[in-house]
Amino acid sequence: MAESIQGTARGIDPRGPRFGAAITGVLLLVTIGLWLSGITLAATIVFAYITIVFAWGAFAGVQRHPYGLFFKSVIRPRLKPPTELEDPTPPTFAQGVGLVITLVGLVLSLIPGVGLALPIAAAAAFVAAFLNSVFAYCLGCQIYLLLVRAGVLGKTGTPAAA
Amino acid sequence: MNPMAVFAILLGLVALSTVLGLIWKARTGRVRSVDGDVVRLPEIPRDGRVTLLQFSTEVCAPCVPTRRVLGQIAASTDGVNHVDFDLTHRPDIAARFNVLQTPTTFILDRDGHIRARIGGAPRQSDVRAALDSILAA
Repeated sequence: MAESIQGTARGIDPRGPRFGAAITGVLLLVTIGLWLSGITLAATIVFAYITIVFAWGAFAGVQRHPYGLFFKSVIRPRLKPPTELEDPTPPTFAQGVGLVITLVGLVLSLIPGVGLALPIAAAAAFVAAFLNSVFAYCLGCQIYLLLVRAGVLGKTGTPAAA
Repeated sequence: MNPMAVFAILLGLVALSTVLGLIWKARTGRVRSVDGDVVRLPEIPRDGRVTLLQFSTEVCAPCVPTRRVLGQIAASTDGVNHVDFDLTHRPDIAARFNVLQTPTTFILDRDGHIRARIGGAPRQSDVRAALDSILAA
């Protein structure tokens, strides 16, 4: 069925974003470990890097995500073809959620006295990345409607309340 | 903080995430019987058939396989419709039926009453079992 390996036009290999989430999860653990060990400058640098990669995924789209491209060129040729391809929209949304969490944590942690924001944001992002990678948890499925109902997202298109 | 304590905290975080994942996995897709309100939407045909009403959004990866599973059930079962409703731009409908996640599936009886509610991607056998009891009523 899924004969086409290119997967850019119709969808992406769902294992790509999960592979990326695994890398991000490990880096988030490194961040927390460095911070708890008192090496806060290194923790901030790793965390800033994670934030930038989330921004890349969120704005350029998950198809152009660096870990996704690595998966596609190096890992995927060694695996069986995927049973089905997925729409890149949900994992791109998840990258945006990751960006918001890490960016808020990063900015807050730069304020003197609020340094604890960094490991807290990193821990929250780790839980999401871990669930995504290990359990194929779909962040957009759980969060999108809450944001729409709170009026944060989804204002375009059909106006609410007929 | 000494390295052992740091390691213990990191291990605790991994353990917590694993527990959360197992709880989520055990709960998602479970069929819950309810005796709910009547659903009237223009998208739902009023033809006296049982309806699998699926709520989806554009940012929902498991909505696609769910669409296929429910569509196959409807196609192979007499008296069953499948309707996929996109909530992406319809917070009013999400609020009216208190939908918090996608996919969420309602099984509506012939009169449009909500008889079952499924949060998350449902298993085909569970949906068939729930349908059998509703169709037999």
